[in-house]
Amino acid sequence: MERWCRRRGQAVGTVLPVAAVWSLARAWYGDRLDPAFRGRSAEQAEAIFRGVGLTGPFWSL
Amino acid sequence: MDLTGWLATPAVEMASGKLIGKGFDVSEVDRTAWDWRLRAFVYERVVASGRLPTAAESAVVLGVDHGDVRSAYRRLHDRHALFLEPGSDGAVIRMAHPFSGVPTAFVVRVGGRAFWANCAWDALGIPAALHRDARIEATLAGGEERVTIATEGHRVVGQGEFVHFPLPFRRWYDDLIET
Repeated sequence: MERWCRRRGQAVGTVLPVAAVWSLARAWYGDRLDPAFRGRSAEQAEAIFRGVGLTGPFWSL
Repeated sequence: MDLTGWLATPAVEMASGKLIGKGFDVSEVDRTAWDWRLRAFVYERVVASGRLPTAAESAVVLGVDHGDVRSAYRRLHDRHALFLEPGSDGAVIRMAHPFSGVPTAFVVRVGGRAFWANCAWDALGIPAALHRDARIEATLAGGEERVTIATEGHRVVGQGEFVHFPLPFRRWYDDLIET
């Protein structure tokens, strides 16, 4: 990961176990195919992050 | 969410409600409502076919003006509801999250269909959106190694993989392709 970031001139961001990303994916995308979906505000997005235990500056505006 | 009925509904009928029908005049309907109905149509198409419809394809299927579809695609892009291929001027959708309009390192197999995902997170986002079990075949960053991950109900089955999020949430929309 660090080698890949270095090659691209990027800093390492945040690394999560795939199980945590699966939880996030279900919360984030579970309603994406609902024809009534109208996007979400930054506050709603942050609430989803908090709901799956993702907090701190990386997951905030 | 139960998609059974929705997926079984013909595309035009599903997306239409009272707004989209063969050959209707976009200028006579509420523009915002039309945009969101078109978005629903785009998602219905990618779920059914694995491909994101170009503006030309949507215009033909819906029987509407090509320019009206491109304008709506651009407005949806501005709302982050779709992400257009840079330089396509509204003609081509690059991403309708979590689906990718171009081949990527992440192939998601659900039932007999295959989808491209934009990134590792979106690869998990496809079974999450479909509420279906999936098999994800990914080429790891760097391209040297391939992995397969399965989602089964609320479980994810892998080999202890990790996912890298290179940019913080506040920068996700700076450059979606890079993110």
